Amino acid sequence: MVFYVLRNGAHLNLYEKRLVLFSGKGGVGKTTIATAFAMSCAQRGMKTLLMQINAKDRIGEIFDRNPIGEELVELGPNLFCVNSTPASALREYALMTLKIKIIYRAVFENKIVQSFLNAIPGISELVLLGKAYYHAAVEKKGGELKWDIVVVDAPATGHGIFLLKIPSVVTSIIDSGHMFEEAERMKELLEDSNMTSINIVTLLEDLPINESQMLLESLGELNISVDYIFMNRVLENPFSADEGNILEGDSAKADSITDSLLLAARFRKSRLDLQNKYLDLLKEKIKRRRISIPYFFEGVNNQGQLEDISQRMQKQLSSDEQ
Amino acid sequence: MNRKLADLVAKKKVVICVGSGGVGKTTTSAVIALQEARRGRRVIVLTIDPAKRLANALGLESFTGTAQKVELEMAGELWAMMLDMKACFDEVVQTYAPDETRDEILNNRIYKYFSTSLAGTQEYAASERLYQLYESGEYDLIVLDTPPTTHALDFLDAPNRLGDAVNSRALQWLYKPTVFAGKKGMGVFSMGTSYVVKILSKLTGAQLLDEFAVFLSAFSTLFDGLQERGKAVRELLSTDESTFIVVSIPDPLTLKEAAFFYDKLGADKNTVGAFVINRVHDFGLDADELDRPLVNISARLNEEFSDKKSTARKLVENAKEYALLKSRDFSALQELRGQIPGYVPIVFLPYFDRDIHNAEGLERARYELFDNEKRV
Repeated sequence: MVFYVLRNGAHLNLYEKRLVLFSGKGGVGKTTIATAFAMSCAQRGMKTLLMQINAKDRIGEIFDRNPIGEELVELGPNLFCVNSTPASALREYALMTLKIKIIYRAVFENKIVQSFLNAIPGISELVLLGKAYYHAAVEKKGGELKWDIVVVDAPATGHGIFLLKIPSVVTSIIDSGHMFEEAERMKELLEDSNMTSINIVTLLEDLPINESQMLLESLGELNISVDYIFMNRVLENPFSADEGNILEGDSAKADSITDSLLLAARFRKSRLDLQNKYLDLLKEKIKRRRISIPYFFEGVNNQGQLEDISQRMQKQLSSDEQ
Repeated sequence: MNRKLADLVAKKKVVICVGSGGVGKTTTSAVIALQEARRGRRVIVLTIDPAKRLANALGLESFTGTAQKVELEMAGELWAMMLDMKACFDEVVQTYAPDETRDEILNNRIYKYFSTSLAGTQEYAASERLYQLYESGEYDLIVLDTPPTTHALDFLDAPNRLGDAVNSRALQWLYKPTVFAGKKGMGVFSMGTSYVVKILSKLTGAQLLDEFAVFLSAFSTLFDGLQERGKAVRELLSTDESTFIVVSIPDPLTLKEAAFFYDKLGADKNTVGAFVINRVHDFGLDADELDRPLVNISARLNEEFSDKKSTARKLVENAKEYALLKSRDFSALQELRGQIPGYVPIVFLPYFDRDIHNAEGLERARYELFDNEKRV
C-alpha cells in the first residue's frame, strides 16, 4: 500500500475537502475533469455543487439540459450545477451586504452605477470567488452546511491566477471595510489546505506543462498549495516491447494495406515517444501526485464517457486515500 | 476564387492570427513570417506566448520584449519579439503621461496590480505595440499572434473599451466629482454624490474607492492619446493592408469558435482572409478499408512475433482509431466549409508526428502551408 504523507503530516484525500478547484491552460479539458470529479463525489453520496465561473456552458449540453446559467440545476442524485456570472454574483453580494432591497434597487440598478462597478478592477473576480466561498463555507440548510463539497471549474491559467490572487490584492490595497473582511476570509479559506484543494489539469504537451508550472509557482507565492496534477488525454500504448521494432523508422508513404497499418502505428509510436518525453519533463518540473485520464479517440461528448472518466479518477484517487 | 494563402500574405503589411488557446497560433504566425522573409521581405513576428520550443525553432534562446533578429540563410529578414505587457504599459506611461502625473501613475497601487491583469489589458497592449511597430515603418510585414480569447472582438475593442471606461460619466464622477454636482437627469446622482459614495463605500470600503479615484484622475491624462491610437489601429486593420487569419484545430467545438470569430470580425467586410486549421489527421486508411480478414495482414508481417495474429489485430485496431479521427476531422472541416463563403480559403496542415522544435520542423510546416497547400 502506498502511503502518501503531506508536508503538514496529513494524508491527502480530495473527498475530505470542502472546496476543490481545477485550473490549467485553456483547452486542456478542465470542464471534463471538474465535472467527472463532481460526479465521483455525488456517487459517494456527497451533496455536490459543481460551479462554473462565467463559462460558455458545455455541461448542460452533455447532460441533455438547457444551457446552465445562474439558476441551480440538478444533474443527477446529489449533483447540482450552477454557472455564475459576475453580474449575478455582484447582485447577490450587494444584496447580502446592504440587506435592504430598496437601496439596492435605487443604487445598483442605476445604469451609471452599473458601468462604474464594471470598471472597478478585480470586482468580478472578487464576487465570483466570494460566491464559491459562500457555497463552500457559509450557505446552510437545516442548520447544516448545504453542500458537502463545492467543485469549481476555474478559469484558465491567467484568469485563474488572478481569481485566486484577488483576495491578497485587495487586502494589500486596503485594510478596512466590508470588502477587506470578505477578502480576508477568502484568503484564509484558500490557504487552508484542510479545506481547500487546488488541482491543475494538463496535457502531456510542452505548453500546457509550462503553464502548469507557472500556475504552480504563482500559487506558491500566494501560499496556496497544489494537490494533484490531472493529466488529461493520455494516449495509451497498445503495443508490447517486442512489437516495437516494426514501429521504428520513418512514416513512409503507404502503398499497401499493411504499409498503411504500419504508418498509423508508427505515427502513434512517435506521439507516444513524445508523450513520454513530456511525462519526464512534467515529473521533473512538478513534483505532485498525478492522475492519468486516457485519450478518447471518439472525443468526450456524452455522459457515459464522463462516467467512465469519473470512475477511473475515483479509483486512482482512492488508492491515495487510506 | 482559388486565391492561395501564399498570395494573400504576400500582399499584406499586417497579418493577425486569431483563435482559441492551444490551436497553434504562435507557430502559424512564425510560419507565415518565415514564408515572407524567405521571399525577401523584412518581417517581424510579435508573439504573446513565451513558447520556448518555438523560440528555439527560430534559433533563439527565448522570446524577449525587444526585437531579436533570426539568423536566416536567405534574402529577407526575420525578427521576433514577445509582448511584454508590463513593459508596454510602462512605456506608454513614460512616453505619453505629462511629467507631473507620470510617477503618480507608475507608483499607484491599483496601476501596479492591474495594468497587467485587467480584462482586456493584454489586448490593449498588443494593439499599442502593433501601432508602434507599424508607425516605425521598419518592417514590410508585421505578423501578430493575438492573446487566446474566446471573444474575438476583445482585441479590436480593447483600446476602445479602456477609453470608454475611463471617459464614462460614471467614472468621471468619481475623479471629477464637481462636474456632476447637482446635474439633472442622472437619477441617484442628482441626490448628491455623497449618498452614492456612502452606499458604494459600504460595499467596497471607502479606501478602495479613494485609491481608484487617484488612479483614474492620473490615468485620465493619457486617455486622449490612448483613444487616438486605438482609432488608428482600427483603421489600419480595416484597410487592404491588413488581414486576419483564423487559426483552429479540427475539433468541432474549436471550429465552432473559429466560425464565431469569423462572424464577429465582420463576415461581410472581408476582414478574414483565410482559415488555417492545424493538426488535421490526414493519413491512413478509411474505416471501411479496414474490414478485412486479419489473416491476410498477419501473413504479410515479415517479422517473427510470438503471436502474429495479436499484433495484426492491434495494428488494425490502431488504424481504425486513426481512421475515426480522420473522419471526425474531415466531417468537422466540411461543416465549417458549409458555413464560410467559398472565396475564403480553409487551408489545413497535417498533424505532424513530432513537435516543431527546430528550423527543419518549421520549414516542414512552411512547406505544407504554402508550397503544398491543401484546402477543403
